[in-house]
Amino acid sequence: MDRKSAVTGIGESAYYKYGDSPHTEFQLACIAIMAAAEDAGIALSEIDGFISYSDTRNGPTRLAAALGIENLRWAATTGSGGNSVAAAMMLADAAVTAGYAENVVVFRALCQGQFGRFGQAGGAGGTMSGLLAFNGPYGLLTPAQQCALHTARFMHDHGISQEALCDIAMACYANAQNNPRALKYGKPLTREQYHASRWIVTPYHLFDCCPENDGAAAVIVSSAARAKDGPKSPAWIVGAAQGIGPQFGTYAPDNLASSFYGQVAENLWGYTGLGPTDMDVVQFYENFTGAVMIAMCDMGFAPPDGIEEFVSGGALVGADAKLPFNTSGGNLAEAYIHGMQMVNESVRQIRGESTCQVSNVEHALMVGGPGYAPGSAIVFGAST
Amino acid sequence: MTRVLGDGWALPALDHSTTAFFTSGKLVIQQCSKCAQFQHPPEGVCHSCQSFELQHFESAGAGKVESVAVVHHPVNPGLADHVPYAVLVVSVDDAPGVLVIGNGVGKAPDEFRIGDPVRVVMEEVDDPKSGQRLTIPQWEAAG
Repeated sequence: MDRKSAVTGIGESAYYKYGDSPHTEFQLACIAIMAAAEDAGIALSEIDGFISYSDTRNGPTRLAAALGIENLRWAATTGSGGNSVAAAMMLADAAVTAGYAENVVVFRALCQGQFGRFGQAGGAGGTMSGLLAFNGPYGLLTPAQQCALHTARFMHDHGISQEALCDIAMACYANAQNNPRALKYGKPLTREQYHASRWIVTPYHLFDCCPENDGAAAVIVSSAARAKDGPKSPAWIVGAAQGIGPQFGTYAPDNLASSFYGQVAENLWGYTGLGPTDMDVVQFYENFTGAVMIAMCDMGFAPPDGIEEFVSGGALVGADAKLPFNTSGGNLAEAYIHGMQMVNESVRQIRGESTCQVSNVEHALMVGGPGYAPGSAIVFGAST
Repeated sequence: MTRVLGDGWALPALDHSTTAFFTSGKLVIQQCSKCAQFQHPPEGVCHSCQSFELQHFESAGAGKVESVAVVHHPVNPGLADHVPYAVLVVSVDDAPGVLVIGNGVGKAPDEFRIGDPVRVVMEEVDDPKSGQRLTIPQWEAAG
């Protein structure tokens, strides 16, 4: 193969509980980007692109000024949220592969203590416009509530019990017990604690939902020539994909029991020529456990009627799991950096640097936030 | 009926997209004048034939629960006294191909099941700004 781009450096801030960061969000972004540049063995001035997703609070011109960027050639932010983590990586790959830039930063920084919870609901007493006009008056306001409607239908159609969601949450917590960076390090989750936790919205307990954290993570995507010169083994970008359905949302009549990742799978496996059985380790963005369960099916890892058995019995736990999954603890138990930290973990797996290292990793998959569109996913490879 | 989520809870802004659904006193679904396709929420173009000629269909208001989630955590302080509440996704019997969102009313939130037949009932509330009467479609158990 002839890979054109690779991740050459990764970095992150320390991760904090909501409100505990001693730094502003912009400072957190700078910490992660400076660490990634150091890891890649490049000077900050050699960075020539910035890509993020979801919001533009830490925009490219501000970063370029703060970090002494001499020639910013590529700047972009995808418009949507955690579903577009891999889409942001795709933009970096496109820029580097086309020769428009050589060292592009992809990052996500969040300080919810400073700016409030991601996806927080709007106020009472006002009026609601657009799509929210048809949802908000009924108290359908948050990603958790929307994904719950899809998960409830999926569980109904395929005879799935609450234990499947519990198994996914427990796997993330179990894997975090190997990872000193993880906010849930030293705090394992038992089945009893899971079931005793309060309902947020059925079928989601508290432990099915991503927490609120502060922190930042970043990677450097570099050209093949740069990657071969770097100090660390490149994590080659094998391919990435986006997709929107078919059909999307709580108004999708024929696709209600979905995570809307069917097209992502079709496009990713078609583009890369690979499939689920070629993946040695996977990271699935958990906004909610139930949405991940559906995304695993949409991505082709298990049939819907078999998914409960597929995730049961510790099948997702540890480096020698049946399916090594969210090996750093994921959004639930490492930190909720909107999935960007799962890109870093994928790179660690390719390099052999994970705290839950799978042996002989050739391909590592990262899947963006399920239940939203366009979804995205990316495959990293160890070989050129 | 009084509002499920309290009379002070947020209302839809009335505009070209929302007015028919929230002021007709009946369940009103957008329908293409050219190809007769139903769609919801309303849109400026038919998703089936791309016509811009769209009309309103008055449904008899019978439906079926396609999904249900019971909200326990009040994500807004204004909802604190109104949890738990049931959010339903409902298919409309005489407007195939569309789903609408509503609350389940008339029985406990955790008693609604996927597949249950439901019928529309209207919450009536006056918009405090415009004074206009809103009729907000909700769903109660049928049969």
